Amino acid sequence: MDLLLQTLVNGILIGGVYLIITLGFNLAFGVLGVIDFAVGEWVMLGGFTGYWLNHYLGLDPLLFLPVTFVVFVIVGALVYPMLARLLKGRQHARLLMVFVFTFGLSTLLKGGALTAWGFNQRAMDSFFSARSVELAGVYMPQIRLVAFFFGVLITVAVAWMLYRTRFGLSVRAVAQDEGKARLMGVNTNRVAALVYALYAGLTGMAGVLIGVIYTVTPQMGVQYTIFAFFIAVLAGLGYVPGVLLAALLLGLIQAFVAVYIGSAYSLLIVFLSLYLILLVAPRGILNRGRA
Amino acid sequence: MVTSRGFPRFLALVAAIAATMLFITSAQAQDKRDFYKVGVITSLSGAMVYGGNVTRRGYDLWEQQVNKNGGIEVGGKKYKVKLVYADAQSNPQSAADAVQRMISRDNVDFILGPYASSSTLGAAPITERYKVPMITGSAESPSIWARHFKYTFGAVPAVDRTAGEIMTVLAKQRPEIKTVSIIGMNDPFSKSTAEALRDGAKKAGFKVLSYDITPPDADMTPLISKARSLKPDVLAVGGEPNNHIAVVKAMESLSYKPKGLVMHYGVNTPDFQKAVGKAANYVIGATVWDPSLPYKDAVFGTAQNYVKLSETRYNVKPDYTQAASSAAGEAFAAALNTADLPPPLSAADKVKLVDALENVRIKTFYGTIGFEKQGPWYHDNAELKPIVTQMIDGKQVLVGPGDLGTQKIVYPQPSGQ
Repeated sequence: MDLLLQTLVNGILIGGVYLIITLGFNLAFGVLGVIDFAVGEWVMLGGFTGYWLNHYLGLDPLLFLPVTFVVFVIVGALVYPMLARLLKGRQHARLLMVFVFTFGLSTLLKGGALTAWGFNQRAMDSFFSARSVELAGVYMPQIRLVAFFFGVLITVAVAWMLYRTRFGLSVRAVAQDEGKARLMGVNTNRVAALVYALYAGLTGMAGVLIGVIYTVTPQMGVQYTIFAFFIAVLAGLGYVPGVLLAALLLGLIQAFVAVYIGSAYSLLIVFLSLYLILLVAPRGILNRGRA
Repeated sequence: MVTSRGFPRFLALVAAIAATMLFITSAQAQDKRDFYKVGVITSLSGAMVYGGNVTRRGYDLWEQQVNKNGGIEVGGKKYKVKLVYADAQSNPQSAADAVQRMISRDNVDFILGPYASSSTLGAAPITERYKVPMITGSAESPSIWARHFKYTFGAVPAVDRTAGEIMTVLAKQRPEIKTVSIIGMNDPFSKSTAEALRDGAKKAGFKVLSYDITPPDADMTPLISKARSLKPDVLAVGGEPNNHIAVVKAMESLSYKPKGLVMHYGVNTPDFQKAVGKAANYVIGATVWDPSLPYKDAVFGTAQNYVKLSETRYNVKPDYTQAASSAAGEAFAAALNTADLPPPLSAADKVKLVDALENVRIKTFYGTIGFEKQGPWYHDNAELKPIVTQMIDGKQVLVGPGDLGTQKIVYPQPSGQ
């Protein structure tokens, strides 16, 4: 019974980590209509930002979350015009061009990080690392609890922004029908730029948290790109509230498969579940995403 | 059919192909070198880049020292060596592609093989097809040697001959060890290590409470939680240093510390030490080489001298993988000398080199190298014995078996549950 509860808690807490990565990713898809294959590399760069700030300033890496957010918002705002040029251009197969661009960006960022910082794994510790909370025989790593609650907080904040602010209304309008939104006076290019910047900022912060929980290496991004893609599809592409449920589901599948079936089958079962869910609900688990 | 309009273009294409073939043929015909062109295929990017660079340091140090001494002596004359690198990208298919390019384009004389076992399994069928000898300085999976590749040799004994020894040493511990849980990563080396640990545990009379194989980049907390609930005396892990870091971090986050923690490879690497800090203390591992052993040769001097050379060039203390990679070059040098094969090597010379390698038995700073000629470890180095180690205050100390141990094993580790 203890192991069952422990596995449940482990799954939920891992899901909290995935939540932060995918939130911005899915939001960006909703507005821009493109999959950013560099999402894992934004996570990696966020991790390195936290690591180097921690290394040189000696403060708890979690204190650098706001700084990392601001840095990556700026980076996202600088990258967006290149993406927009491809998206709004007149060339054929624009989406394919964007895919190639983000894939190339991912390779460039990974290669650049490998050249600049080498292949070594780097670890950073927070006050919450190597500590756990015990409750009825179930151990909860404090750092994962922090990451989980941070993820939930960010999700609530993004949902509030989307459904309770004028900017959020513009974002939803652009996601629903860009042409009509423009006719209604929404500066769609500005909205898209801000959403991409917000996505980069959120993903950069996720990198710091992941870096503290695990380690930071230039090669760490690939698996987070896969997870973000999985969760975004499961949540319903472009449907932000579904991310919470999909992220928790991925965490729970991984935790239960590892303990009760065999960790070697984890990815197989994860993608088999995705396939089966999409057969039943092609627009995501809550049937609210893009078809 | 070629039309009259298209004929000049067709002619130009034929001329270009003919010129290219002529260039390649003449380049090969002019390949009269007075140095050995040595191909090195290893993981210079991807998940195994850390280990790839360990082998690279070993191969580069061999090149440095052998050239400093004037080169490899063959027929009374010395020939220098030049290393040509290719990236296996931590991926068997890329390793195969890279080694094929290296053989067909660079026309290398022989090959120093990849980190790790998975890439070696990708490269070996290609060296077999082109009949080019290869010695890997790092691969330890027995699945390589079980396939009886004629052109592939290994400087490190297979992990199923070394990892099990840890359990034999632990069986002599008091208080008595009764139960073990095993976690192995799902790659050829790590999986073989986990299998060897499991078989060793059974042979030693321990009860194996759980045996889990997991993807190397998976989250480790579920499996650590499972181990905690089973309460084994010893938790044993088969993996690379980066996997061990993930396991220790997961253990720390769950406030879990078993009485004994076994991690076969890499616990003395700077990355592991830095990443896990004090948690590296008391981790039990295995090695086939240690700088304190009384081995020496003409190229590197003593094992201690090898450490100094590594620290001078890289500011890194070498482990047995780096040492084995350097020693792999020495095995080639001895075989070239014995078979009297000056550069460049013809196809027939490469076959003769394999025959010479089979009969090599040399003493080096890394210990003796001699390859099996038959059986399940065909062409693997059969001469080295495993030594069990434990990390104590940042240093790797030898704890067995028997007289090889310089101090007693610390078991149970302080505050181990």
